[in-house]
Amino acid sequence: MATVPLAILFEGDFVLKLLPVESEDTMDVLAEKARTVTIGVHIADQPGKAIRVRKEGNEEPYPRDMTVETAGLTPMDGVNLYFE
Amino acid sequence: MALLERSEWYDYTRMTNWTPKFVSEEEVFPAMHSGMADVPLSVFDSYDEPYKISYREYVDVQRQKDAGAYSVKAALERADMYNRASPGWISAAKLHYGGVPVVEYHASLMESRFVRFAKAPGMRNMGCFGAMDENRHAQIQLAFPHEYIDKDRQFDWATQGYRTQNWGILAARNLSDDMMMTRDVVQTAIMLNFAFETGFTNLQFIGLSADAANAGDYSFAKMIQSVQSDEARHAQLGTPLLKLMMENGHEAEAQRMVDISFWRTWRLFAVLSGIPMDYYVPLEHRENSWKEFMEEWIIEQFERNLRDLGLQRPWYWDYFLEDLSEEHHGQHIGTYSWRPTLWWNPTAGVSKNEREWLEEKYPGWNDTFGKAWDVVIDNMANGRMEQTVPGTLPVICKVSNLPVVGIPFKTAKIEQITYKGENIQFGSIVDKWIFEQDPERYCRTQTIVDRFLAGKVQPADLGGALQYMGLGVVTDPADDSMGYSWVDEYRPAAAE
Ligand SMILES: [Fe+2]
Ligand SMILES: [Fe+2]
Repeated sequence: MATVPLAILFEGDFVLKLLPVESEDTMDVLAEKARTVTIGVHIADQPGKAIRVRKEGNEEPYPRDMTVETAGLTPMDGVNLYFE
Repeated sequence: MALLERSEWYDYTRMTNWTPKFVSEEEVFPAMHSGMADVPLSVFDSYDEPYKISYREYVDVQRQKDAGAYSVKAALERADMYNRASPGWISAAKLHYGGVPVVEYHASLMESRFVRFAKAPGMRNMGCFGAMDENRHAQIQLAFPHEYIDKDRQFDWATQGYRTQNWGILAARNLSDDMMMTRDVVQTAIMLNFAFETGFTNLQFIGLSADAANAGDYSFAKMIQSVQSDEARHAQLGTPLLKLMMENGHEAEAQRMVDISFWRTWRLFAVLSGIPMDYYVPLEHRENSWKEFMEEWIIEQFERNLRDLGLQRPWYWDYFLEDLSEEHHGQHIGTYSWRPTLWWNPTAGVSKNEREWLEEKYPGWNDTFGKAWDVVIDNMANGRMEQTVPGTLPVICKVSNLPVVGIPFKTAKIEQITYKGENIQFGSIVDKWIFEQDPERYCRTQTIVDRFLAGKVQPADLGGALQYMGLGVVTDPADDSMGYSWVDEYRPAAAE
């Protein structure tokens, strides 16, 4: 397990934020970690909606149970997050 | 004995080029310092500086300028500007003083390089006066804030700031290193004197001088006018050089230097001037919006300068025009959100009246940046202060060294490349383009985030980061300039 710092942009945010995650984290775990620095800080919550993670430029989000390592994300890779 | 008129002897006495016999021309003017190596020395004799002055005249005029500025300062010292001015003006003055004075020393070194390495005698001459100008700018802008230190320690950042690793200082220092300190004198003069000075410094000086006078800070207004009057002279140093470049096969280089430096300067001034103009200056004293000011004072004149010289507008011009309504709004909510990292207490500038003004000047503001502010204000109004400072760092652009920002839902976007196996983030397509012009120049830049990830910031938490950036060292971490009194109208009790 290794720490992978990512550059995240949550839809509705005005700024990219640094988010350290673990290589074994699933996308759902990544999303929960992202929540703490975005939702209720600069973005209003949308209760009941899942947060999805997508590589910049991709149409489709990563599967929710895919890990950071399997997704091939490396340090300072940029990912987009959004409420489904 | 009667003295000759200056025009009768000036050209003759400053023509100090000759044909070296004991050393080669390359040894006198090394390419890495002097630039335009393929153009013979004799061509540079035709460099014609538009502003001519003798040393005797220079000393006389400068002495009067200093006497004027310092006597206003002395006369007003007991007028208690500090306690009468609005918190917003104090924010603007401290932002300026922390970021600007020591860069003026860099500029003095830069002009000194012109004196030694410029191939044009006229440029060496102007550089000599320019170096003395910039030395004066550093000194006067260190002297003026000094009188406020006993009232407010944040004014001490004028002197101490440049010795810190504060993220804002890293950004200013990086621009200075890139544009002033590490290029040959030709490229430097295009980037600094032409793009930065004739392009932008009027903003900081004319705009800020009006703001200072409106705020009742007449000594600042007088000081900054005095600086600007020097700038009006030595800024012109780059224009005749650009003419020579255009006539001697260096058009592409000239255009590239303009394109790089105009953008870098624009992004820095969006923080330095854009934020104060649209958010710190009290509403009743705001004349133009930042965008209107840019359009009226900068864009028209800069386009005309380019046209006159036969240069093109930078390739990203349309993108730049959009950025006028964007970059400073993002940097403002960013600096405000991470306010403990600042050397000045920021003013939020988002009361209900101010938001109306912002919406009028920037239609759509409430639905974009305003949405993010809604969340911040709701936290403040309901006492959730711990939620109002993000628990992580912003991602920093490898070129501008500023946080990567954009319009929520619209232009906020990831701009990434991978260079030598490293993922690198940029604040815009233009910053990315600048990097690609010379990756080896920029790839070693250590932004505050790079330093954090490399383990240079210890302990690796907010406290450690603040200390690394000089907060809790030079001054305490910064906080809202009005003690959050502006939040009152948003509190639930106020709505009842
Ligand atoms: Fe200066
Ligand atoms: Fe200058």
